Amino acid sequence: MRLLASLALLAWLPGAGGPVEFRNVAASAGLTRAFPNGGDRTKQFIVETTGSGAAWIDYDNDGLLDALLVSGAGGLTRLYHNEGKGRFRDVTEEVGLAVASGWGQGACAADYDNDGFTDLFVTYWGQNHLYRNIGGRRFEDVTARAGLRQSRVRYNTGCAFLDYDRDGHADLFVANYLKFDPQTTPKPGENPYCWYRGIPVNCGPRGLPFDRNILYHNNGDGTFTDVSEASGIAAPDQNYALSVLTGDFNNDGLEDIYVACDQTPSLLYINRGNGKFTEEALLRGVAFDENGKAMSGMGLAAADYDGDGWLDIFRSNFSDERETLYRNRGRGEFDDATVAAGLARNTRYVGWGCGFFDMDNDGWQDLLLVNGHVFPEVDRLGIDIHFRDRAILYRNLGNGKFADISESAGPGLEERHAARGAAFGDYDNDGQVEVLINNQNEPPSLLKQAAGAGSHWILLRLTGTRSNRSALGAKVRVTAGGRTQSDEVRSGGSYLSQSDLRLHFGLGAARRVERVEIDWPSGARQVLRDLPADRVTAIEEPRGTL
Amino acid sequence: MRAISVFAVFALLPLAAEDRTAEAVDAFHRGRYADAREMLEKVVQAAPGDGVAQTFLALSRAATGGCDTAAGELGRQFAANQDASLRRLAGIALVECHLARNRLADAWPVLDALQKEFPGDADVLYETAKLHMRAWNEAVFQMYQKTPASFRVNQLSGEIFEIQGRYAEAAAEYRKAIEKNPAGLNLHYRLGRALLLESHDTAKLREARNEFEAELALNPSDAVAEYQVGQILLAEQNAAGAMARFERSVSLSPDFAEALVALARLKTEAKQYPEAIGLLERAVKLQPASESAHYSLMLVYRNAGRMEEAQREKTVLDQLKRPPEGEFTEFLKRLGEKTPKP
Repeated sequence: MRLLASLALLAWLPGAGGPVEFRNVAASAGLTRAFPNGGDRTKQFIVETTGSGAAWIDYDNDGLLDALLVSGAGGLTRLYHNEGKGRFRDVTEEVGLAVASGWGQGACAADYDNDGFTDLFVTYWGQNHLYRNIGGRRFEDVTARAGLRQSRVRYNTGCAFLDYDRDGHADLFVANYLKFDPQTTPKPGENPYCWYRGIPVNCGPRGLPFDRNILYHNNGDGTFTDVSEASGIAAPDQNYALSVLTGDFNNDGLEDIYVACDQTPSLLYINRGNGKFTEEALLRGVAFDENGKAMSGMGLAAADYDGDGWLDIFRSNFSDERETLYRNRGRGEFDDATVAAGLARNTRYVGWGCGFFDMDNDGWQDLLLVNGHVFPEVDRLGIDIHFRDRAILYRNLGNGKFADISESAGPGLEERHAARGAAFGDYDNDGQVEVLINNQNEPPSLLKQAAGAGSHWILLRLTGTRSNRSALGAKVRVTAGGRTQSDEVRSGGSYLSQSDLRLHFGLGAARRVERVEIDWPSGARQVLRDLPADRVTAIEEPRGTL
Repeated sequence: MRAISVFAVFALLPLAAEDRTAEAVDAFHRGRYADAREMLEKVVQAAPGDGVAQTFLALSRAATGGCDTAAGELGRQFAANQDASLRRLAGIALVECHLARNRLADAWPVLDALQKEFPGDADVLYETAKLHMRAWNEAVFQMYQKTPASFRVNQLSGEIFEIQGRYAEAAAEYRKAIEKNPAGLNLHYRLGRALLLESHDTAKLREARNEFEAELALNPSDAVAEYQVGQILLAEQNAAGAMARFERSVSLSPDFAEALVALARLKTEAKQYPEAIGLLERAVKLQPASESAHYSLMLVYRNAGRMEEAQREKTVLDQLKRPPEGEFTEFLKRLGEKTPKP
């Protein structure tokens, strides 16, 4: 028994996870189509650089995540049905999604009409599209009917559904990058902001006009109202906004919004609970890096990586910049923990999609980010910055630090792509999280671990009844093996992407979950005890008063 | 002389100006310098007291390769013309003439006077940059020609590669310089810095640290090399070692603001807020425009619960973060303000 106990303990030791081997299984899964996104050797305009996102959604409620890949101009955003056994089938035309083309940017998902089926929102430079899920069989473009048609061309980027006013209906936040018009935007080399290390490149974002972010309130009748001005979301108008991350960062029970901004301060909208937000990134310590400099913020991820009960934030940035890890020191005030956590060395990558996930089910959130430069022309320089680059994987050591294990984590991590969006989800329900990555002008990558999950896990699928049906904003604390982990259900995140709406927790050696505590957006608190591990557990919000 | 811009000189001309002078000035502004010169020669012959004609004749002569005959008049106009715009034009043309005749020493005082009278003028700044570049080129040419085997040639080559972002080549040149002059100060430091600019991987950090340590062996009072070692130790997760190096750096150079900030950050991490605040208050006094120092001070005030002072620092930061006003910025703003089509 002593030996068994020792082994069990080992599985729980921070950072004691076994070997990790990620392989790209996209081709064998049937994800072989390339998604166009501007030039490969040179890019004329900035719009060619920012796309596109990826999403995991279970649109037909069969319990298996389906894959969505957003396309730039020249292709269609495509939905692939998960057929089981690791295979996907293109159902884009079949479900009615072959309707929009153009410069697709990002995607986010939620059941905005609370009918039991997850709907889809796709952002564009141009016009966004809201696709209502009709019974899990097809999608209907309801953009105009929902009041989401925009009066001018906008450069919409990240998006996220959230129930900011806790009225039981998912509202919608859409980040806007800048005002872009190919007719008036300077060409490569035409002004000092159109150069990179001595070579002419596409211009911007500096030198191009700012736009502002948008918050749409869900009226509960299938329509939305733009409340950007009234809510205070429109006030900051000097930022190049890309990714969106929702979370209750100050633990006041209200969803806040963090936005990664390019070359300008990132934004933290604190939800005041009266329909208004105040932007407080600077004083809360998440606008800049530790030197007080604005980074080129790209992707975002949130997790309680150090297990203190507060949501921390990771942001991917540009080359010659450090990634940024903001540790929540409580009350939604953050310290830049990048150096202290060991994340300061990878400065040669332009980072995009990123996410915390427990790759080895040891109970600690690891971190993956995907990379690729914005300028294909950089390859001409012969330096160690490349247009196509590998991903970076950090193992959470459980002591506030991470170890870079990219070079020993399998061939999938070593492949070089101009990667952008990355969505995290367990598409085969085997307890290990897979990563769907949208690569510019190439087929997507689907990173899957070669070995099975050594430790135990639980996947929680939450359904709101009084709260919004997707349970957005529900806060979950899972206690197993004497440790408590926490997370929230969120839409959006990563880089212009949508990850699994279910919550995955690694449990280490624990075969049962002692306690699951859920704070629903409605205010209800639910506690479940003694749940079995290694399965997907559906939890519905209690309908009556607890 | 092509660099001389078009100016709204018509507004400056007296209303009663001779038509021929106006026609010649117009020709000058249209870039027809030879025509302008020919017309102005005649005007000045007929009316030697026409100051505008005299100035533009000198400008036209300069623009058509006649600096020898123009320089004297340009000098007189620059010194004595009552009209600031014409004085400015004459000064710029005079600088161009000195440059054309490779008389750099004569050009400096003219530029100094222009800068005093027209600070922030794009054309004057352009001429200044041009003169510096010419002087730099001359010096480099001399060095490469007369002392090609000197370590200075390698050092300068390294610095040029660095500016071009070619860090590996820069490092190679610094290595050659060190080989030629192992006791040369600042060479190991430059090499260490080039290595850091090249990459932050483990091997490069180690190599760079070795170079900074080598610099310190030559010059134990080099506060900046101490600071760099501290930064590397920090990247290597050795906070205690980094703190010791930053402390030494500050003791070597008490006014080294970057080291004060770095040390203060570690004190902040260790929750030693009063010490951190003291260091940062020193840093912002030394460098009132340092965003990094003000940002760190804002955060440590916040962490210490001194929210009023944190807000005050935030206000300072908001001011510092405002984009600089100036012609270049305005130019870029104008570019950005083109209204996209719906």
